[in-house]
Formats: sequence, C-alpha cells, structure tokens
Amino acid sequence: MNAPGFLSPTGVEIVFLLTGLVTVGAALVAVTTRQLVHAALWLVVALGGIAVEYLLLTAEFVAWVQVLIYVGSVVVLLLFGLMLTRAPIGRSPDADSGNRPVALAVALASAATLVTLVVDAFRTAWIELDRPQGDTQTVGEALFRHWVLPFEALSLLLLAALVGAIVVSRRTTPDGPAGTPAPEAVAAPEARKAQDAQAQDAQDAQEAPGASDVPGAPEAEER
Amino acid sequence: MDFLDVAWRLAAVLLAFLTLPLLVGQAEHKVMAHMQGRVGPMYAGGFHGWAQLVADGVKFAQKEDVVPAAADRRIFRLAPAVALVPYLLVLVAIPVAPDGGVGQVVDAGIFFVLAVLGVGVLGQLMGGWASANKYSLLGGLRTAAQLMAYELPLLLSAASVAMAAGTLSLPGILDAWQWWWLPWQLVGAFVFFTAGIAELHRPPFDAPLAPEEIVFGPLTEYGGLRFALFLLAEYAGIVVVSALTAVLFLGGWHGPFADGLGWLWTLLKTAALSFLVIWTRVAWPRLRADQIQRFAWTVLVPLALLQIALTGVVKVVFA
Amino acid sequence: MGLPGSGLAKGLAVTLKTMTRRAHTAHYPDVQPELPARSRGVIGLFEENCTVCMLCARECPDWCIYIDSHKETLPPAAPGGRERSRNVLDRFAIDFSLCMYCGICIEVCPFDALFWSPEFEYAETDIRDLTHERDTLRAWMWTVPEPPPPDPAAEEPKEVSAARKAADRAAAAQAAEAREHAPGPDAGAVPGSGAAPGAPDADGGGTSA
Repeated sequence: MNAPGFLSPTGVEIVFLLTGLVTVGAALVAVTTRQLVHAALWLVVALGGIAVEYLLLTAEFVAWVQVLIYVGSVVVLLLFGLMLTRAPIGRSPDADSGNRPVALAVALASAATLVTLVVDAFRTAWIELDRPQGDTQTVGEALFRHWVLPFEALSLLLLAALVGAIVVSRRTTPDGPAGTPAPEAVAAPEARKAQDAQAQDAQDAQEAPGASDVPGAPEAEER
Repeated sequence: MDFLDVAWRLAAVLLAFLTLPLLVGQAEHKVMAHMQGRVGPMYAGGFHGWAQLVADGVKFAQKEDVVPAAADRRIFRLAPAVALVPYLLVLVAIPVAPDGGVGQVVDAGIFFVLAVLGVGVLGQLMGGWASANKYSLLGGLRTAAQLMAYELPLLLSAASVAMAAGTLSLPGILDAWQWWWLPWQLVGAFVFFTAGIAELHRPPFDAPLAPEEIVFGPLTEYGGLRFALFLLAEYAGIVVVSALTAVLFLGGWHGPFADGLGWLWTLLKTAALSFLVIWTRVAWPRLRADQIQRFAWTVLVPLALLQIALTGVVKVVFA
Repeated sequence: MGLPGSGLAKGLAVTLKTMTRRAHTAHYPDVQPELPARSRGVIGLFEENCTVCMLCARECPDWCIYIDSHKETLPPAAPGGRERSRNVLDRFAIDFSLCMYCGICIEVCPFDALFWSPEFEYAETDIRDLTHERDTLRAWMWTVPEPPPPDPAAEEPKEVSAARKAADRAAAAQAAEAREHAPGPDAGAVPGSGAAPGAPDADGGGTSA
C-alpha cells in the first residue's frame, strides 16, 4: 500500500493544522490570562476549535455533542458560577493560587500520557476520510454493539456523581432554606442546586454589599 | 452539489433570515396592538405601517454607538454577534420542503440545531457580564440559570422524536413522519415548544429581561445597532423555535399537495406557532425566576421523561 | 378559582376576542375627533361683549391674561347732557403656555365675553408663539358650538325661571288692571324680561382700567 506522505498536504489537512494551532493558542491564553471571565471565553474558543477538528475528521455527531455539552452547558455553568461568586471586569490577581509549577507539571504529564497513548494505539494506521467515519449511525453502532460495557459503566459513574451531588447538597440543608421534600430533591438535584445558589447569592448580597459584582435587592424578592 | 447550487441555497437561507424575523416582528406589533384594542403602527410605509421595522432599523443605525466606561469593551462589542449568528446557522439546517428543500442536510441535525441554539445564549451572557452593570449581571445570571434548566427538557423531548423516527437528521425525521405522531408526541411538542420559548426569554419566561424590574437585564447598556442586533436575534429565535417545533412535531411540509406546496405548509405551521408565541406574550404575566426554575424541573423534565417512556413503549410494542 | 390553568385559558380567550373586534384607536390626524360641546380646548374672546372690566385678568390664577385699554369720551346723548366715557379695548391676549385651563376667567366674566371652544390644534414650535392676541381669540369664537340643551330632567335655568316669574307677575298685574277698567285700552307696556342673555349695555357697568 502506498503510504501518503506528509509533504503533500491537502486543503483539509492544512485547515486541520491551523485549527489545531488556534485551539492550542486559545487553551494557553485560557490558562494564562488573569481575567477570569476571559479565561472562560477563551475556553469556548478552544472547545469550539476541538469541535471543528472533529468535523474535519468527519466525526459529525461527536462534534455537535462537543458543542452542545461543552460550549452550551459546561461553559455556561462555569460562567454562571463565576458571575455568582466573583467576576470583576479587569484583572483579578488574587485568583492566582501560586501553584503554577505544579499545574504545569500535571498538564505536561497528562499531555504526554495522552499523546503516547494515541500514538501507540494508531501507529501508522491511515484512515481515509472520503466517506464519513463518525456519523451518527457508525457512532451509535460502535457505542451500543462493541462498547456497551464501558458505556454502562460510565452511566453508572454519572449516576454515582448525581447521588453524590444530592448527598452533598442535603448535608447543607438544616441551616439553609427550609428543606424541600425528598422526592423532589431526588427528581431535580439541579433545581436544588440552583435554589441553594440563589440562597447563597442573597447571603453574599447581605454580607458583602460593597462587592462590585454582587446583585442587589431584586434578587431577594425572587424567593 | 455544484457551487451554484450551494450559493443559491445560502442566498435563500440568508433571505429568509433577513425577512422572516422582520415579519414576525411586524406581526407582533400588529397582533399585540389589536389584542389590546389598539391598531399599532399605521404610517411607516403608507399601508398599515408595514415598513415600521425598516424605519426602526434606520433609526437604530443612526444612533450613537455607546460603550459604558467601565465595560469590557471587546466582549461588549462581540456579544450581539455571538447572540445573532447561531440562529443564522440553525436556519441552514431546517428543512422547508421535501426532496432537498433544505439549506444543508446535517447528519445529526437535531444535535446541530440544539447545540448551536445553546451558543446563542452565550452572547447574552457575555453582554450581561461585560456591561459592568448590576442589572445586566443579574439578567445574565438568570439567563444562565434558565438556559441550564431548559436545555434538558428541550433535549429530552427532541430525543423522543429522534427515537420515534430512528434518525437524528431533520429531513429523515420528516420522511418518517406519520399523522398519528401528532397525538403520540403531543406532550413532547408541548415540552419542546415551552422550553424553546424559555430559552428565547420570551414572555412568560422573560425574567432575565424583565424591563420593569431589571431594565432589560443583559441589554440594559446596549443601544443603537447592537441593541437592534439583539432584538433581531430574539425574533430570529422565534422563527427558529417555531420552525423547529413545526418540523419535529407538526410534520413540517406534510399536508395536502405536499409535493408542490410543502414549503407553504412549513411556513404556515411556523407562522401559526409564532402567532402563539406572540399571543402568550399578550395574554400572560411574567413568571418569577424561581417559578421558572420550578416549572422546568418539576413539570417539564418529568413530562419529557414520560414522553420518552411512551415513545419507547409504542416503538417496542408496535414496531 | 376553578380548574387549574383556567386563568391562562381566560387570558387567551379575552385577548383573542379583543383582536377580532374593532380597535378603539382614534385615527386623529386623519379623522377629526368628535369632541363634546363643553370641551375645554381653547378660550375664545367675544370682544364685542368685553367691557374691559378686568375681572378675568384679576381672577386668573397664573396671570396669563394681558389687557390694555384706553378711555374714550363720547358726546352727550342729549344736548346739554353730561359727557359719557367708555373703555375701549386695545389688547386682549392669553398666554396659553401659562394657562392651566381652569376656566375661572370664563366663569367670572359678567358679560359673557369669554367662551370655551373645543378647538385644540394650536401647538407651536416656539413657546412665545403661544401668546395669542385678540384677533386670534376672536377668530376662535367662530368655533364655539351652540351650547347643548339642558338635560330633560334638569332644574330650570335661573334666568328662565326669573323671566317666567317676572312675566307671570306682569300678566297678573295686567289682568288686575283689566278687571279694574274693563273696556280700557290696553296700552301698558310689559316690562322687558331683565334676564335676557343678550348683549349687555356696552357703556354701562364697566370699571375703568
């Protein structure tokens, strides 16, 4: 088989490379910028870049899930948390914990592990992308035929996380707002979280009226 | 698929994107006025004020471009675009007529549409934060909370249709659609449409904007063309959510003479749903932020799960 | 409260019903409004009735009526009689940027020289142009509508009852006189009913400026 060379890149490969550069750049800015919200927004760029990479690899389904889950939900959750606690406009030097060397070491180690793993797994395998390799049907079949066990294990993990979240949020209830009935809490952990978040928000407002980004009185009437 | 074909389709989508939201906006002016015993705009353009929104656009374009001194300038300026562009992208994937009457067939159409819709809300969040205004921040917080609450029922009810059709592609779903899906997916349709309205922050779910309370939330500091872009995003959102509901739950182009008049059926269904969106704005008061959360988690999510269970049962028993 | 959600349904029903009915909007510049006869649009001056008594200017709460006048001497009505003087109106202006449309001037005018007119289209782009002089005020008199008839069940106007009382008294006196000299010629002039709302005596009763 005639192995394609690296010296005659196609258009898609060039775009892939450029997107990769943008993604890495955005990721680097996200961890080095001193403005908290900017970091979250650069994270959007990095995650979006990864989605574009998936698209270029014809893994359409994974790409849209990436956008849906990471850009649409995780970053919004992140921004929500930032806005609730502290999101000053401008630099926030106090947010730097001074663990930079350790963080760098961990990042490098995990990156090395992943790269080694991927390189070792695929070696010189060449996948032709002339027909979609990751469309919905392919992914679905792979997920539910070959990888059912890991899939189920993952869902179990998520369930455990869910239960854990409920337990953690229940522990804080006695002195928090009046405990809601248990069934509702089981059905809607996020709602509880949102309520608790609101309660904490109101507390923040009372404790630190001078903070620049703490919402004022209107929040109180919401409950 | 040659170049001309692609260009023609993109031009058609762009045209729809530029006209349909204005149509909905004008319809809102007139319908709302008549529901309140008024007549609405009457002069712009001569005949019953048909050009009112054009006049508004000219006015917005003439206004000064103000950025608050304490704002994060770049993000403040970027936010309207982030809020608007996703809706344009979504329109590309919505099928209008049978046999290729769609801007671009997307394999995982539902996921694409919902993912990109979620990105649109990010624009409001950015605007809310970057305005350096407490009302805006408060609105941004509510926006985020509302998005997180309503994304789930939206996805679950869409998943129910995907389960029924056995595909994630929007034209594929329409190809599989039968009339009896209407009662079968009725609950899902309710959940999807309601959650869609909530994601757009349309009344009665407009606590994040709440002009009387937090002065339009994330939009407080915006004026001129940027505010117009946010408004356009809202109306484009109405079009998109109505069209999606029509496609997923009301059978899109299905109807008498679907071969020739399929596009008309899609437009009619979209228009009827848009009318419903306007109607609820006139008829119902605004929900409080906590009521919005409770409604999402205690009503819509269980209903959506129920619909999925129903879909699964019917699918297994009858197919 | 009934069924849950009935309120929502009612809201939808009411708005839909309203939509199918005609709107209440008055299409003003295209269609002139039909204003009631007693609308307080603008104040018109019937200057023939004015005696420059200055009551209106003095009673005006915000001093928006400007009156100038001079005295003229008239030759005696009969030869050898006294010369008579009368006031001549030189300027009568109302500053409608100050006027608060209380209508006190119209109430106090003893000679019915001021009237409400429903005319309301006299907006100006300069506040100084809102001071209107006597010619404009006189022109507005043409827009004063005829007063509407009293309500059928209303109390009789004082003028009418006074006139009727006077007429009755005169008739009774006449009848009594007729009974005294039965075939006498009926030459007794009936005194005029003093309450006729006609033009007052132009040179009587006016206070000098």
